Amino acid sequence: MKLKRFLLRYYPPGIILEYEKGGEMKTKSIDLLDLTPATDIDKLVEEIRRAEPLVTTSRIQQVKYLIVRLQEKLSQQDDHKFYLFKVLRAHILPLTNVAFNKSGSSFITGSYDRTCKVWDTASGEELHTLEGHRNVVYAIAFNNPYGDKIATGSFDKTCKLWSAETGKCYHTFRGHTAEIVCLSFNPQSTLVATGSMDTTAKLWDIQTGEEAVTLTGHSAEIISLSFNTTGDRIITGSFDHTVSVWDVGSGRRVNTLIGHRGEISSAQFNWDCSLIATGSMDKTCMLWNALNGKCVATLTGHEDEVLDVCFDYTGQLIATASADGTARVYSAATKKCIAKLAGHESEISKICFNAQGSRILTGSADKTARLWDSHSGQCLQVLEGHTDEIFSCAFNYEGTTVITGSKDNTCRIWR
Amino acid sequence: MCSTELSEGLLSILRKLKSVPDQEVRILLLGLDNAGKTTLLKQLASEDISHITPTQGFNIKSVQSQGFKLNVWDIGGQRKIRPYWRNYFENTDVLIYVIDSADRKRFEETGQELAELLDEEKLSGVPVLIFANKQDLFTASPASEIAEGLNLHTIRDRVWQIQSCSALTGEGVQDGMNWVCKNVNAKKK
Repeated sequence: MKLKRFLLRYYPPGIILEYEKGGEMKTKSIDLLDLTPATDIDKLVEEIRRAEPLVTTSRIQQVKYLIVRLQEKLSQQDDHKFYLFKVLRAHILPLTNVAFNKSGSSFITGSYDRTCKVWDTASGEELHTLEGHRNVVYAIAFNNPYGDKIATGSFDKTCKLWSAETGKCYHTFRGHTAEIVCLSFNPQSTLVATGSMDTTAKLWDIQTGEEAVTLTGHSAEIISLSFNTTGDRIITGSFDHTVSVWDVGSGRRVNTLIGHRGEISSAQFNWDCSLIATGSMDKTCMLWNALNGKCVATLTGHEDEVLDVCFDYTGQLIATASADGTARVYSAATKKCIAKLAGHESEISKICFNAQGSRILTGSADKTARLWDSHSGQCLQVLEGHTDEIFSCAFNYEGTTVITGSKDNTCRIWR
Repeated sequence: MCSTELSEGLLSILRKLKSVPDQEVRILLLGLDNAGKTTLLKQLASEDISHITPTQGFNIKSVQSQGFKLNVWDIGGQRKIRPYWRNYFENTDVLIYVIDSADRKRFEETGQELAELLDEEKLSGVPVLIFANKQDLFTASPASEIAEGLNLHTIRDRVWQIQSCSALTGEGVQDGMNWVCKNVNAKKK
């Protein structure tokens, strides 16, 4: 094994090692999820050296320098104010979901008008219209971090794979017998997973365009799915009140998370794959040990259905969005609510952190999106302008641009 | 009839999309632009109808009636978005078709659209209620005349009914919905 070079990863903080093994180039990452500007560098470097044989004494200065740069990044003040930059009116029917590529240079919007559009973030120009679906384009994704492919899942029961650069359709994945409502690429970008109202999820091989495996076992619609960071596990959340954990390689069910007393709305892994957070119509969010499937905490407080949940990148915080019009932030360590985000006048359907974890973005039926301080829960900005409810919203990786997709047929860029 | 405010977030759209339990009914509200679909929807939900603008996408409301939960989908009727009506056909229990009874110039157009809907495979056998709306206008054609003009009597593959109404005043609306509740079982067995 020979170390070739280091790469810096800002969010979540980490150092990627590129090394050679048996004539092959490989990478592994040292996650520094607990790093703060106050962390003792010498102590940390010593820990890394002991744990990681690739980091030899001669490399220590280099590693120190990288950690200093990460600390500098972490201590940067975030006082970005967002202003409406552009209103994109190319869709002729309501939008469904929106998503950025990793660099944030472009983003995609799905719509009831059966298309997905690819946009240039800097100019707001439409780059491509992905046409071919015969019904609503509901679920969309880039194959981040690569960003050269796009997957679209439709109410027409098919999923399509597209080139992000040319807009050409590579494959149409057929097999589901009802609407596709969630999808995701695996982190290696070799598979697309689709979840359907037909109660199954399927994994599709991107190269061959063939179905790799069907995940069968839920007794009601699958509404949410997500891969873990390493890509060997996938979870599916269902209207049958349960979440299943599947082995990606074999398609075998490893665990079933049973405990919610209502439909699941969202299911997510944290970065280090140790925890799963699930939101439910039973007004709670539950945290589960990802390895053994045991419930470790029930996060309560919401007075109505929990519609969305997410972790911040480091996995220290969990945010929940509810039909009660509030959002809440919980500490993953203490399982306690640390902030209540109150202000929206109607249900909150989407919630997300910026990559830095310092800000939360919420999209609501009250036609506004709001920006919050993750720790204090203070509302920093109200993004007003949409004339109908907001279905989806997203931050770019830098945290400097926000996009919102609405039932008013428009997408807005704020920066 | 008591109405419940239905949130329309993406998730609740999915919940309304699934094949619903016995006591829930999925109703599709279609018709040309300016037929009065959204006014009718708001009338059903006992909401303010003074400021209604053309529907660019869709509106959904849930209404309780005679032990049923009626999930009513009001879909925009402008020509350019009519091809997208079929986005919403899946799992439809009852079709309500709304006609502006005072807009004689467009009877042919609305008849054509209705005929196309009745030919849709996904709507086959679905009971259809035709609201001859805007009867509050004195230029409105009576329901019997519209029924004749549209050759409704030739419909043999489903139960149907034409009901004159005014979404503005609410007159006739309840009668139509009573018919819906009575005939919903025709499809839901």
